[in-house]
Amino acid sequence: MLWLVVFVCVLLAIATRQSAGFRAARRLGELREERMALEARRTELERQIRLGSSRQVLVPLAERALGLHQPSDSEFSLLPVAPSPSVGP
Amino acid sequence: MAKPTVRIAAIQFGFALGVVALLTRAVQLQIVDGEQWAREAERTRTERRVLAARRGAIYDRNLVPLAITQEFYHVGIAPNELDDPGAGLRAIVRSLGVPGAAIDREFRSGKRWIYLHGPFNATQVQSLRDIDGVHIEGAFQRFYPSRELARPVIGGLEPDSAVGAAGLELALDSILTGSPGEAVLLKDRAGRRYASPSRLVRDPVPGNDVVLTIDAELQEIAERGLADALEEMKAEGGDVVFLDPKTGELLALASRQVHPGAVPRASTFTDPFEPGSTAKLFTAAALLQNGLVDSTEKVFGERGVWNMPVTRSGRRTRQIRDVHVHKGSVNLAEAIRTSSNIAMAKFSLRLTPEQQFDMLRDFGFGTPSGAEFPSESRGLLAPPHRWQPMYTRASMAMGYELGVTPVQLAAAYGAIANDGVLLAPTLLREVRDPSGRVLFRREPEPVRRVISSQVAARLRQFLRGAAGEGGTGEEAQLVNYTVLGKTGTARRFEDGRYAPGKYSATFAAIFPADDPQLVVIVKIDNPKGSYYGGRTAAPVTRTMLQQALASRRVAIDRGRLTPPAARVATTAASQGVGTPAPKPVVVVSWPIRSTDSVPSPVPVPSVKGGSVREAALALHRRGLRMRLQGLGRVTRTAPSAGELAAPGASVTVWAE
Repeated sequence: MLWLVVFVCVLLAIATRQSAGFRAARRLGELREERMALEARRTELERQIRLGSSRQVLVPLAERALGLHQPSDSEFSLLPVAPSPSVGP
Repeated sequence: MAKPTVRIAAIQFGFALGVVALLTRAVQLQIVDGEQWAREAERTRTERRVLAARRGAIYDRNLVPLAITQEFYHVGIAPNELDDPGAGLRAIVRSLGVPGAAIDREFRSGKRWIYLHGPFNATQVQSLRDIDGVHIEGAFQRFYPSRELARPVIGGLEPDSAVGAAGLELALDSILTGSPGEAVLLKDRAGRRYASPSRLVRDPVPGNDVVLTIDAELQEIAERGLADALEEMKAEGGDVVFLDPKTGELLALASRQVHPGAVPRASTFTDPFEPGSTAKLFTAAALLQNGLVDSTEKVFGERGVWNMPVTRSGRRTRQIRDVHVHKGSVNLAEAIRTSSNIAMAKFSLRLTPEQQFDMLRDFGFGTPSGAEFPSESRGLLAPPHRWQPMYTRASMAMGYELGVTPVQLAAAYGAIANDGVLLAPTLLREVRDPSGRVLFRREPEPVRRVISSQVAARLRQFLRGAAGEGGTGEEAQLVNYTVLGKTGTARRFEDGRYAPGKYSATFAAIFPADDPQLVVIVKIDNPKGSYYGGRTAAPVTRTMLQQALASRRVAIDRGRLTPPAARVATTAASQGVGTPAPKPVVVVSWPIRSTDSVPSPVPVPSVKGGSVREAALALHRRGLRMRLQGLGRVTRTAPSAGELAAPGASVTVWAE
C-alpha cells in the first residue's frame, strides 16, 4: 500500500512543479512584453527629444520666433578660465 | 464436450496467445518502430521555433542611435472568438489607431480572419494581449530614429529580412548579425501553444553594436548646408565631407542628387569626378618633393592665354587659359594662390610622367581609400604608359584626366594637414558587444608618408595664400580663425564628352591653419549662375564651419582653438613655478538679435575692473559684440562706458 501512496505523492509533486513552471513562464513572458513596451516607449520619446532639439527644428524656430540668427565666428569668444582649486594629495 | 482440463488448457493457451500478441505488439511499438512513434508524438505535441536574434545597433560617435532593431507586431483578429465584438472593436481601434470604419466594414463582411499588418509597437498592442480573439505576432524590424540622417552611408536591409543590402548595413553585416536561438513549444489538442521553460534549446545571441565616426550634429550641419546651397544655386547635386586629419575619421558625409531621375546614393564614395584646380596642390607636392622648383623660380604668365605645344615638333598646340591674367612671371606659390593653369602646366613639364603618377598614387588616388563602404569607387588614374606625355601632364596638373571621389580628396588633403602622412579614412570607431563592452577600438592607421613634413608645411603655406586676401578661395575665410583651402572648377564630363556650360565647383579646406582639426570638401554639381568654386563651394564651407564652431556638440577640440593671445598667456602661465596652467574652455555667446528694424543705440556698460567673462556677459546682454585684447581684469574699453553704440557693434576690451 505504501508504494501506492509514494507513487501518488511523486505524481502530485511532478504535476505541481510543472504547473508552477508554466505559471512562471507565463509571468516571464508578460514581464518581457512589458519591458519591450517600455523600451519602445523610451525609444520613441528619445526620438522625439532628439527631433525637437535638432537644428532642423530649433534653428528656424529661433530665427522666426525670437529673431535670433546663427552666430558668425566673430560673435563668440573662447575664454580661458582659471582652473578650480586643486585638491592636494 | 471436452474435459475440463482440456477447456482450461485451451483458455490458458488463448490467454497465452493474447499475452504473446500483446507483447509482440508492444515490442513492435516500443522497440522496432519505437523511434518513429516517438518522433510522431513529439511532432504532434511540440513545435520547434527559431528565435530571431536582435540585429546590433549603429550609433554615431556620441552614441546617438542611427539604426536600431525593435520588436514590432502584426495583429490578427478572429471575430467569432471575441466575447464582446463591439467592445473588442473599440479597444482595437483605440489602441492601434487604425480607422474604425474600415475595421467595422471588415467585421460586418463576415470574414473569419482580419489581418492588420501594422507594424505596431509594443505600447500599442500591450492592452490587447488579454482579449480573446486578438492574436499578436511579433517580429524584429529595423528602425532609423534619425530618419534620413546619413542614410545613403548607413544603407538598409533586404526587404522583409534582417540581411544588409547596402551601405554600412551591408559592409558590417557580419558584425551586426546575431545568432538565432531555438525553442520548443508545447501544443495541446486544440493546437494552442505554450512556452515551456524547460525546453529552451538555445538562446538567441544578439548582434554586436557598432559606433561610427560620424558626428550626428556635424552631419546635420553638412546635410542642411548642402541642401540650402543646392536650392540657392539651382544645382544638380553635391557632396560634403568632413574628416579629422589626425585620425582619418570621417565625421560627416552628405550627398544629394536633385536632378530628375537621380538615384539617392553615397556619391562621396561612389562617384569619381575631375577635381580641377584642387589637384594643383599634388603637382606642387611632386615638384617640391623632387626638388624641381624653389621659391624664387618663376614662369611667364603668357597674359592669360598660352598655346602649349603638345608634340615635340610643336606643330600641334593646346590652348590653356587663366581666369586671373598674369602679365608678368609667377612663382609656384602665386600659381596656387591665383589658380593659374598656365603656370601649373609649365611647371608640370619639369616632372616625368612617372614622378607625377607616383605622387598622385601615393596620395591615394586610383585605389579604394579603404573606408568600410561596400561599393567604393577606386577613381581613375591611368598608368604613365597610357598618357600622352605632354598633354596628360598638363591635364593632371590642372585636375583633368583624373577621377577622384570626395572621400579620396579629403584623405589626400588630410595628409597635407597631417604633416605628410596619409591615414586610411574610416567610418568605424568601435564595436561593442550587447552588454556595452568594447570589443574593438580602431586606432589611426597610417598608410604611408607621402611627402616630408617640410613639403607639407610649404603646401599649407600655399593654401593659406589661396584662401587669403586676393586668393581664389578668400570667401571661405573666417574672421577669427584662419582657413586654408583651394578652389576647383572643372568642366563636367557627361555622356562621353565635356558638356558645354556645365561645371563642378569644389572647395577643399583645412581648418584651422595651426593644428588642423578638420578637412572639409564641398562639391557642387553644375551650379547655375556663378559656377566658380570660390563663389559657390567656398562660402558654403565658411557657413558650415561657422555653424560647427557655434555648436557645442560638434566634435571640435575648442581648447586647441584658443585665440593666439590666450595661447600665449596659457603658455606663460604654464611656465610659472607651481602655477597650474589655466585650462582653456569655450564660452559660446547666445546669438544676438538680428536687426530687422533700425535699432536704437545703447550705452556701453561699465565693465572696468571686472573679469573678461563678466565683461562678455554684460556686453552681450546689451546686444554688443566683444573684441578682446589681452587677458585678466578689464582696464578700458572702446567706446568707453556710457558712450552710445548700435546693437551688434563691436566693443574692444583691453584686459591685463
